[in-house]
Amino acid sequence: MDQSDPNAVPLLSLMGISKTFPGVQALKDVSFDVHPGEVHALIGENGAGKSTLLKILSGVYRASEGEIRIDGAARDITSPRAAREAGISLIHQELQQVPELDVAQNMFLGNQHLRLGLLTDKARMRREARAVLARLDPTIDVTTPIKRLRVAQRQIVEIAKALLADTRVIAMDEPTSSLTPREFEKLTGIIEQLAARGVAVIYVSHKLDEVFRVASRATILRDGKVAGCTDLRATSESELIRLMVGRALEQNHRQNHARSDVVLKVDNLGRGEVVRGVGFELHAGEILGVAGLVGAGRTELVRLIAGLDPPTSGTITVKGQPLKFRTPREAIRAGISLLPEDRKKEGIVPMRSIISNVALPRLGRFTRLGMINLSGVRDKVATLTRRVALRPPGIDQQIKNLSGGNQQKAIICRWQMAQADVLIFDEPTRGIDVGAKAEIYQLIEDLAREGCGIVVVSSDLPEILRLSDRALVIRRGELAGTVERHDLNEEAVMRLAV
Amino acid sequence: MTINTDRTMTAAPPRTKFLPIGLRDMGTLIGLLLIVLVFSNLSSVFLTERNLINILQQSSLNACVAIGMTLVIISRGIDLSVGPTAALSAVIAATALVAGYPIPVVAVLALSIGAACGLLNGCLIAFAGLQPFIVTLGTLSLLRAIALIYTGGTPVLGVPAAFRTLFSSSIWILPVPVVIVAIIGGIVWVVLGRTPLGEYILAVGGNEEAARVSGVPIARTKIATYMISGVLASTASLILIARLGAAEPTLGNLWELEAIAASAIGGASLSGGKGSIVGTIIGAIVLGTMRNGLTLLNVQAFYQLLATGIIIIMAMLIDRLTRGKE
Repeated sequence: MDQSDPNAVPLLSLMGISKTFPGVQALKDVSFDVHPGEVHALIGENGAGKSTLLKILSGVYRASEGEIRIDGAARDITSPRAAREAGISLIHQELQQVPELDVAQNMFLGNQHLRLGLLTDKARMRREARAVLARLDPTIDVTTPIKRLRVAQRQIVEIAKALLADTRVIAMDEPTSSLTPREFEKLTGIIEQLAARGVAVIYVSHKLDEVFRVASRATILRDGKVAGCTDLRATSESELIRLMVGRALEQNHRQNHARSDVVLKVDNLGRGEVVRGVGFELHAGEILGVAGLVGAGRTELVRLIAGLDPPTSGTITVKGQPLKFRTPREAIRAGISLLPEDRKKEGIVPMRSIISNVALPRLGRFTRLGMINLSGVRDKVATLTRRVALRPPGIDQQIKNLSGGNQQKAIICRWQMAQADVLIFDEPTRGIDVGAKAEIYQLIEDLAREGCGIVVVSSDLPEILRLSDRALVIRRGELAGTVERHDLNEEAVMRLAV
Repeated sequence: MTINTDRTMTAAPPRTKFLPIGLRDMGTLIGLLLIVLVFSNLSSVFLTERNLINILQQSSLNACVAIGMTLVIISRGIDLSVGPTAALSAVIAATALVAGYPIPVVAVLALSIGAACGLLNGCLIAFAGLQPFIVTLGTLSLLRAIALIYTGGTPVLGVPAAFRTLFSSSIWILPVPVVIVAIIGGIVWVVLGRTPLGEYILAVGGNEEAARVSGVPIARTKIATYMISGVLASTASLILIARLGAAEPTLGNLWELEAIAASAIGGASLSGGKGSIVGTIIGAIVLGTMRNGLTLLNVQAFYQLLATGIIIIMAMLIDRLTRGKE
């Protein structure tokens, strides 16, 4: 697979790359080499710095420190155009294509051939597109609108686009998240082709089995630093996981408040291909973590439980009663609540006051003769927001003025006001600073102590470890396994997740 | 920090007087007073009691429709079919009156037609998931066609005097239509500010997905807004046929634009989540004042249209400058 001579000058060298954003150091002193014809994997957890590194390589960000060398010569990659001129192409996870345009147009996006400097030379673009594409996948017709192609084919078009520009380094970000096993095989073939032509391929993926199949060496990032660089032929999956995760084990000071009564039971729950046959029980006072890779189907799973999407199979039983939810309203009435992943998009009504946002689900209870009991609502909301130490404490202001952490606290008050028995948190501390994070963890614990059943979906492993009494691990839509508290550590979770 | 003009779900701070009028509405009112000031200087007849009452009378139709439109706009929708809804209610009500049906029955009939049109719009939008603009554009044509077919294109004449005097008399110095619209405004203001439906409309318009997650009954809320809009359009049609003594199947032309203009001047945002009933009423009076004042000054109709257009654009610019991007 790897046709490089390790003693030759590397095609791509990253030396001492660091990147600082206000308040956080995303990358520190990252260095590695990639040789011509080498397939080099870049692996690490969510938040390890992989996307930041890719963005620096492709010119979207500029490194705060460090150097990038192509063929031994330092290159200043200041913009995506500069990256392209340096011969670096990035195939994004979310393909950057215009659905309505055809293959040739997408391949020449921003770089069209012109006739007489004015008119687009479609014939020439199509000819060249066809030539490049023929070597990769001759079945793709360059005049097809891109939206008609399957994701796998669109990816091949992206690769072809990169080759048009005389690319020497191709970085692929999670290329297989939407591919079937057969399509993956085809992609593997194409990657081998690229390597044979001397192109350096950087392969970013969570899926370690694929990494072993496709790449020859791997650089492992952890917390923005290089945790290791290994030859994949001489290492094992568990070794990679250890390098990815390698933190000191969290001290588990949690007290388990789980009671015996089961508040939520899910049986064989599924929705098409995205969630398949998931079943578990949640006790009152228990905190159930739900871990898994991005795209594994955790959010989709909790959306089924919260009544946002209809399941195609399975049953949901709340406090012994089997129920079918057609709307979130019915789920809320049954005592289930969801704090969504994207607060701004799905959690808050930004222009409305804190009172409005908090009281929204259960206005009916405060309504007498058709009119809302304004002072009653106000008192209740004030009491709840005082208990969570909402800052600033004024509840008449628009909720969009609060910080992320305080918005989250307000949403927690909403579900307390609705007297929810089951609280589902999807990424509870996303975008929230360290201080507010600790407050939210405390709130979650308090809620558990008061007898709520809590589900916490999180991509942040330390968070899962900190909060969970038990952890479910979801992999590709299915329940890969359950980890009890005494076995709960990062490696155990990761092993099931990948 | 943005000035919070959200009055609902807030109790008045104890140290200031409780006014039903927010900061933005104050601005609209000041705008109106400025226009009044200008016209009173330009025309000696303008600032008379009779003329001012005339303005209120002429604005009442638009105000009525605009109140319903405001609710629809707040929910992030639009109702282009208010004119034809009014026309259909008008011709059927007029026919029923001429045929001798008692007035209360006819009133209920007319309002039911408005409600039915609104139900149609609401169901198509809420359940078929179609865009409000397109749906109401469709029902606009549909309802107009039904009105024309029903009457054969000719107006229904001879609305009984009993019905007409109901609306032509006055309560104190105010004509009955003005009082009716004021009461309607008051009721809708209460609905928007103090009932769950009002909260739901604001939530659906402010962030429909978040409203859904919070258990707001989205479909029911949307259908309710369009039904209210339909009923208010029918109410306006009753006022009109009482005034004219006849019902034309072509009435209500451009009513939706006047209503949207009044709502927008009054502070409603077409991207939803924001609007004011008081503001809309003031906005309707602004438009009525413009028309009245320019007529007194013998300005040609075309220039009146120009002036109205300029006022609307200026109101939006001032709004953007003082409030900033949402």
